[in-house]
Amino acid sequence: MDRLTEEQAKTIANMLRKRSLWMIHYCTGCGAIELPPTMTSRYDMSRFGLAPFVTPRQSDILLVTGYVNIKTLRRIITVYEQMLDPKYVIGFGSCPINGGVYWDSYSVIKRLDRYIPVDLYIAGCMPRPEAVITAFRTLMDMIDQGKADGYKRYKRNLAYYKENQRKVLG
Amino acid sequence: MVIDKIFFTIITPIFAFAVGLSFMMIKLKVSARIERRYGPPIIQPIYNILKLLLKEENISHGVIFSLGPVIALAGSILTVLFIPYAGIKLFTGSGDLIALMYIMVIGSLGMALGAGESANPNASIGISRALTLMLGYDLPFVIIIISVVLYYHTTNLADIVAAQAHGHWTLWSLPLSAIVGFVVAYGALGEHPFDIITAPHEVATGPMVEYGGKHLGFLVINHAFHIYIEIALFVDLFLGGATNVLWFYVKMFAVFFIMMLFDEVYPRFKIDDAVRFFWKWPTIVALISLIIVLVK
Amino acid sequence: MNASLELLLATPFIGGLLAFIGGKVHRWIRNLIAIIFSFATAFEIIGYYNVTIKGIVWGKLFGSDLILQTNPITWLFLFIVTSASFLIVLFSIDDMRKEEDELKLDAYYMYLLFVEGAMVGIVLAGDLITFFMFWEIMSWTSYFLIIHGGKRSMAAGYKYIIMSVIGAYAMFLAMAMLYAKAHSLVYTDVANVLLHSSPAFVIWTIVLLAIGFFVKAAVMPLHTWLPDAHSEAPSPVSPLLSGVLIKMGAYGLFVVLYGLISVKLAGSLMPSVFSTPLLLYIIQWLAALSIVLATFLAIMQEDAKRLLAYSSISQIGYVVLGIATGTSLGVAGGLFHALNHAIFKGLLFLVVGAVIYRTGTRNLSELGGLIKKMPFSFVALLLGIIALAGVPPLNGFVSKWMIYEALLQKKEVFLLIMAFVGSTGAFLYVYRLVHSIFLGQLPKKYENVKDVPILMQIPIWVLALLTIVLGIMPGLAMNVIVKGMAFFGFKPIAYNLFGFPQGTAMGALTTINISAGLAIAFVVAWILFILFPKSRKVSQYDNYAAGQVVTEDLKYNYSYGFYMSFSRVIKPILKWSIERVYNYWVEAAKIFGDYYMRRIYTGNLETYNAYIVIVITLAAAFVLLGGKIW
Repeated sequence: MDRLTEEQAKTIANMLRKRSLWMIHYCTGCGAIELPPTMTSRYDMSRFGLAPFVTPRQSDILLVTGYVNIKTLRRIITVYEQMLDPKYVIGFGSCPINGGVYWDSYSVIKRLDRYIPVDLYIAGCMPRPEAVITAFRTLMDMIDQGKADGYKRYKRNLAYYKENQRKVLG
Repeated sequence: MVIDKIFFTIITPIFAFAVGLSFMMIKLKVSARIERRYGPPIIQPIYNILKLLLKEENISHGVIFSLGPVIALAGSILTVLFIPYAGIKLFTGSGDLIALMYIMVIGSLGMALGAGESANPNASIGISRALTLMLGYDLPFVIIIISVVLYYHTTNLADIVAAQAHGHWTLWSLPLSAIVGFVVAYGALGEHPFDIITAPHEVATGPMVEYGGKHLGFLVINHAFHIYIEIALFVDLFLGGATNVLWFYVKMFAVFFIMMLFDEVYPRFKIDDAVRFFWKWPTIVALISLIIVLVK
Repeated sequence: MNASLELLLATPFIGGLLAFIGGKVHRWIRNLIAIIFSFATAFEIIGYYNVTIKGIVWGKLFGSDLILQTNPITWLFLFIVTSASFLIVLFSIDDMRKEEDELKLDAYYMYLLFVEGAMVGIVLAGDLITFFMFWEIMSWTSYFLIIHGGKRSMAAGYKYIIMSVIGAYAMFLAMAMLYAKAHSLVYTDVANVLLHSSPAFVIWTIVLLAIGFFVKAAVMPLHTWLPDAHSEAPSPVSPLLSGVLIKMGAYGLFVVLYGLISVKLAGSLMPSVFSTPLLLYIIQWLAALSIVLATFLAIMQEDAKRLLAYSSISQIGYVVLGIATGTSLGVAGGLFHALNHAIFKGLLFLVVGAVIYRTGTRNLSELGGLIKKMPFSFVALLLGIIALAGVPPLNGFVSKWMIYEALLQKKEVFLLIMAFVGSTGAFLYVYRLVHSIFLGQLPKKYENVKDVPILMQIPIWVLALLTIVLGIMPGLAMNVIVKGMAFFGFKPIAYNLFGFPQGTAMGALTTINISAGLAIAFVVAWILFILFPKSRKVSQYDNYAAGQVVTEDLKYNYSYGFYMSFSRVIKPILKWSIERVYNYWVEAAKIFGDYYMRRIYTGNLETYNAYIVIVITLAAAFVLLGGKIW
């Protein structure tokens, strides 16, 4: 048997990764209410190998469900940095995209991907479970094609992200 | 003869892992069906293990933190070699049932040490609960072990299996012990209602809180071994072992299937309630069984 | 090498005196003398390996010969005493340096060597007078060692000596009874007399002697002095007390049960339960209760040395339980456990002593994370706790296995259940020990702690090595124990270097297979482990806290009340305390004493004058009557 090239090994690893995605849901806002139906019998996201987990060390996906204010941002960054590579971030609902209904609030972050790299957004207020599952499937495709490289971007542009974080957090 | 022994020494842990893994697979599917879900693909546990092992980054809090899962796995591999299955008895002559009881602890000890070094209170609470629960189910466990040993006048597990092959299963001769043995094996597996150790919502998966990546992968592998050990021991003690691998697997599966059903319906015990439970009904029933053996 | 028994006995005493005098010159001369003489004692016993000497008369008192003798069992205990003392002297050199009062230190080394000499004397004694003499020397010198620690140890030592004296009275009473009957207290004479005595006499003798031994061995309910004394004593003294001194109680019990009377005799005197004479069965129950209750108490402790002290009560329970079984396997297991307990408990106390030396506290909730600063101590402690918990492949497992098997053979199931539960309970408190000291979060104040000096590490390593050697090769100890037990009329048990073949017990044990299997399994798992990406080391503050950032000033550690939930379960048991019963009697005695003392010591000068007159009159009458009252 020939030795696997690095490229092939990566493909196999990505194949496995997309079939087993464990997520930690950081329930900052009202978005969390859409997750129970997604997890339970009605939509059953475990069909795709998705499972909710508790600690950042065990998880692959960070799901930020809802608005992020400055206080929670610090926690989100901690959680994100504690996760192990490869790790993916999904922004859930319109709040992480542009602030949503909190667009003019003094204490809410407008765009999450200025602070941590977001691989995928799910638009909607709230997105239905169907949309959530579609998002996960899209993320799987992205992993398969090697496009979900947020964690690499974070490392590459660490100075940029840190600068942005410092501006808000002080 | 020596070649045989080496061959089986290599093949036994693999067999044990395969059995444990197959049970993990089936369990996911069965529990999904009970909850009226479709459930994950049947080989989901393999994906999980491989994904964990292939994580690009791993973190460690120190040497013992990394060694914890390794010692746990080593202890499990060693234990598996001492349990006779399907007529194959490798190390059974070098350590009897009592030695086995303490060999089984080696893995847990490694796990506990590793989790302790993560310097996380959730892990410490988890270990504290695990050890407390262990003291809880140990009391009925030793009583049934003693009754079985006194019934067969030997502590050699292979001889106990052989004696059952010639007579009745222990399940029929000592039914009360068998019932308690089932409860104890079930408690040792840490399924509902005894899963307060790893309760995700209270103590963030307990001892595993800081484990991720390949460390967690090793712990999942270890869990497969753990399932095998508890159930194989039960089958050897009470269901007469087996003469071939298939029959052994079927017996193990029957035991595990009943356990799965229990797992689905129960909520969680508080840890002191779990200990009180074990020290009450299982202990009383086991003592009755022991006295029956003594009087006979 | 071929020193005579008298010289062996005298060496530590001479060393103690010389050390005290040497201390007046320079402290290093004193230290050197202490090391040399304790080593010489340990060296002299080599010549007595598996040697039996029936008896050397070294004096005469009350018409009874004073005899020294030795046999392999004696050698086993000599080995425990002398090697432990030597290691403890080594450990003391650095550990006791913080003591500024040189005079106190001189006395410390003198008493240390005197205790060693006294224990050598007890073990070598061939008659009860010698035994009792050295027994009392041991009690008093160890009392002086205990009170070395300061004010709190004063109270602990007081409790210790009071209980020791009560035990000694009981023993003295038994000796007086025997002397009145035999007019000699040589073991062989006493054994002859007991053979032809009434059952009541024999039973009373055993009971009284056993009270004396049980106080020293801290078998419940006579244990209350131990947790205080062992925890308040200076760090190097605790291993001597816990590892060695309490074994003297077990040795005494062994000599009385099998040297003075035999199981056969005991069996003919009283009814048997589970084929054990009733008295032995009661002793076994006391031992089993010690095992379980002391284990439960150890689980509750917050103080490292107190935890170990309670664990000593529990482990000595196994020794007594084994010795009292009366079968070859059980007694061998009990004696082997005495050796093993000396090794691992000495090891644990020394490591805890090392931790105290560096951090200055033994409060478990104040420590933590020291594995990064004291890795060698951690490994040593780990070996110690594995041995203590009776987990293969270390030595504690083998001796416990023998005791379990012996109890199984005799079908003493209820004792066996208690022994098992005590062993599982041991996992709880040993994990507490290793977790709260070495694992968990490292407090900021211990940032600059490092491992102890080499002179303190040597004893730790020697003991750690012994746990492994005896765990893999129990045959080494069995060589001595089985030969010695033949001397006391036991059937030899079958054994080999690596364990016990089928037929000795209800099952077989081959320790080398277990340890080799574990080593191979570990290597396999380790190779699998390093195949995958290397781990990145993170600091202890980079930790899961539900998103919160853990900072240095935050104590993010679970170490106080580690088994709170378990203590809720056993609360009904903890309500009962034998200590409270004793305190009740003490109070009662005090009130009684106060009341009647006031009647005699009225504080009135005339009353005292009257006493003087009465006494003088009586004395004069006594003299006038020619020293005869009637």
